[in-house]
Amino acid sequence: MDQRSSLAPALIAAYAAPTSAAQDRLLAVPELLAGLFPSGGLQRGWSVSVSGIGGWSVALALLGPTLAGDSWAGVVGGESLGLVAANELDVRLERLLMVESPGPKAGEVVAALIEAVDVICLGPEVSIGSRFARRLLARAREQGTVLLHLGQGWSEPYDVKILVEPGGWSGIGKGYGHLQSRSVVVSASGRRSMTQPRRVELLLPAPGGGLAPAPVRASGSRLDLNVSV
Amino acid sequence: MAGLRMLVVWCPDWPLVSWGVPLDEPAAVVVANRVVATTPEARRFGVARSQRRREAQGRCPELAILDRELDREARLFEPIAAALDDITPRVEVAGPGLIGFPTRGPSRFFGGDELLAQTTLDRIDPVLPVRAPARVGVADGVFAARLVARSTRSGGGAQRTSRILEPGCSPDFLADLPITVLDSPELTDVFVRLGLTTLGRLAALSSADVVGRFGRDGQLAHRLASGQDDHPPDLREPAPELAVTSMFDPPAETSERTAHMARVLADELHDNLLSRGVVCTRIAIEAETETGEKRLRLWRHQGALSAGAIADRARWQLDAWIQAKAGGGSQSDRPTSGVVRLTLIPDEVVPATGHQLGLWGTRNERSRDVTRVVARLQTLLGPDSVTVPEFQGGLGPGERIRLVPAAAVDLAEERPAASPQWVGEPWPGAVPAPLPSRVHVNPLPVVVLDEALEGVGVDGRGQFSQPPTWVEGSIGGQRSQRRRVCNWAGPWTAEQRWWDPLTGRRRARLQVVLDDGTAHLLTLERGRWSIEATYD
Repeated sequence: MDQRSSLAPALIAAYAAPTSAAQDRLLAVPELLAGLFPSGGLQRGWSVSVSGIGGWSVALALLGPTLAGDSWAGVVGGESLGLVAANELDVRLERLLMVESPGPKAGEVVAALIEAVDVICLGPEVSIGSRFARRLLARAREQGTVLLHLGQGWSEPYDVKILVEPGGWSGIGKGYGHLQSRSVVVSASGRRSMTQPRRVELLLPAPGGGLAPAPVRASGSRLDLNVSV
Repeated sequence: MAGLRMLVVWCPDWPLVSWGVPLDEPAAVVVANRVVATTPEARRFGVARSQRRREAQGRCPELAILDRELDREARLFEPIAAALDDITPRVEVAGPGLIGFPTRGPSRFFGGDELLAQTTLDRIDPVLPVRAPARVGVADGVFAARLVARSTRSGGGAQRTSRILEPGCSPDFLADLPITVLDSPELTDVFVRLGLTTLGRLAALSSADVVGRFGRDGQLAHRLASGQDDHPPDLREPAPELAVTSMFDPPAETSERTAHMARVLADELHDNLLSRGVVCTRIAIEAETETGEKRLRLWRHQGALSAGAIADRARWQLDAWIQAKAGGGSQSDRPTSGVVRLTLIPDEVVPATGHQLGLWGTRNERSRDVTRVVARLQTLLGPDSVTVPEFQGGLGPGERIRLVPAAAVDLAEERPAASPQWVGEPWPGAVPAPLPSRVHVNPLPVVVLDEALEGVGVDGRGQFSQPPTWVEGSIGGQRSQRRRVCNWAGPWTAEQRWWDPLTGRRRARLQVVLDDGTAHLLTLERGRWSIEATYD
């Protein structure tokens, strides 16, 4: 093969590589949670903490649309993450890399993962020294990796803090039925573009799985689902 | 043109032989819930490849189920390849259990094909595990030779037999074989539906028609079916400067260092080849130690070798060499000093077809990045530290997924085991969806009390003794507290392996919503309650 033809594929790839547009800096989230963010999605490089009862489900739901394409996610220290529940919330398990027990090397594990995955999900027990944490956050911002922390996490300020308040479960009574659906109120606040707190209400999990809009009564008030059905 | 005359050595059921399982016991190797290898005894019961695990166990309850350990299979197979090195330097390993080499020179040297086959069996006899079968087949073309080896009847006691096909007889031999031996399910599916159920029928069609309808893959299948030269027609000699070498300083004595370097080197080679638009189908891997001992092995692959596949083969070869048992065989097996050089030399390349490269390479790049990170994390924390989830049958929320080491799967390929369809319907007695998002690795012990503060149990008919009213324990990681039960449902009773007193388990599950807004899945086993999972 002569020189020109051996270079051709590399040149063509360079020309055809998509240029980074503003949309590329966003990671898609489920429609019902998009209202939490001013740009409608998670900005690449953000650090996000999710806390409150129901927080793990919200975190899993946020993960779903990102993994629908080519992206991968790493889960560090999330040994108790319910993966079947994740699958029910449309998270593609094919795209998860799990590092269950990083031990004291958690920081280096996260540093390595930043280079290859689009979202890193950190379990509540993962602790990293604050200087290292600051460097990791900076590197993640450069690489465009979102750090999603289950629980309040680090002392470093987060770009977004998501708080989940549970409403009630429906489908279960006193000795009959089973847990089917829960209403939650999700609020998000944070720094820069997120200083204005935002709030959405939805059913997570919805009856039949996934997410659904919160039902509204004729009077417009929120349905109190704490009553046994 | 007839294919190159090859001798193929096939060790059937090698995955089980390498486990050390006696072949007269029923056992099977299962990968991702499907059987991939069985012992002859298991086959007598009707266990077959590609059956589901549960079906296989249904046919043979005493079946021993083993995981696949490709590393061990390859490592234990290397001495057999090494034993043939002095017959010919062109020994190719196609995978653990399968070796081939061209017969022209050796056949002349040993005085004919029969004597060559016998010599081969004699050479591998001392290095094969006791009572492990081996078959030798000689025919024109490696495809035909493999099928000839598989077709030899295993004689009663002497499990080591050979069969020679006369030159030029390959097309007749192949004609009656079923189309499924082509081993490419998408193509054979279509062929069968078109009525081409044997290789002979496919060979009877005109080559131009087959190419027109099926493209390059069809052309290859047609050539194989006609007993022609089975090298892909667009095979090339790669330029010698494509070989990549890496030196170890200080010399590497352990498998971890060599594994990491093999990965890096394989990525580099794969990138070089891809930038020239080719992929490798046969590769020579050479390692050299400080004291000048060298070991070269040719590896051939049916399709193209991905970077991961190349790295695996380099790792197998080095592991087998470093960990070889001393003594036994004329060649010195174990190297006397550390490995200083590893070289990968692509031996045969073919143009990279569309499905190798993602569109402009993004998909492959991404999975390459991921594999690289996995390798890095494994050097950091150990080989089993990075895992990926796979579905498996089970009852409790934590039992329906298992985590498999990432090194055991090919992250660049699709993995059907990672989707719920892999397992089919949920088992009866399972708690209904939605499943809890937080499954405690160590269930939190609690006490469930009724209104009168007495313990609540489940009787033999699966009913609660009293309605559960309080749950007391370290719920949510805080110190012990007592919470009122607002709503509850259950019990879901489950008996697992009731026939086995040692591993049998009887459990009852209960869903509760507590007055602090949390919801949990509680499990009762042997009279004790614990929080198995939380609906966080």
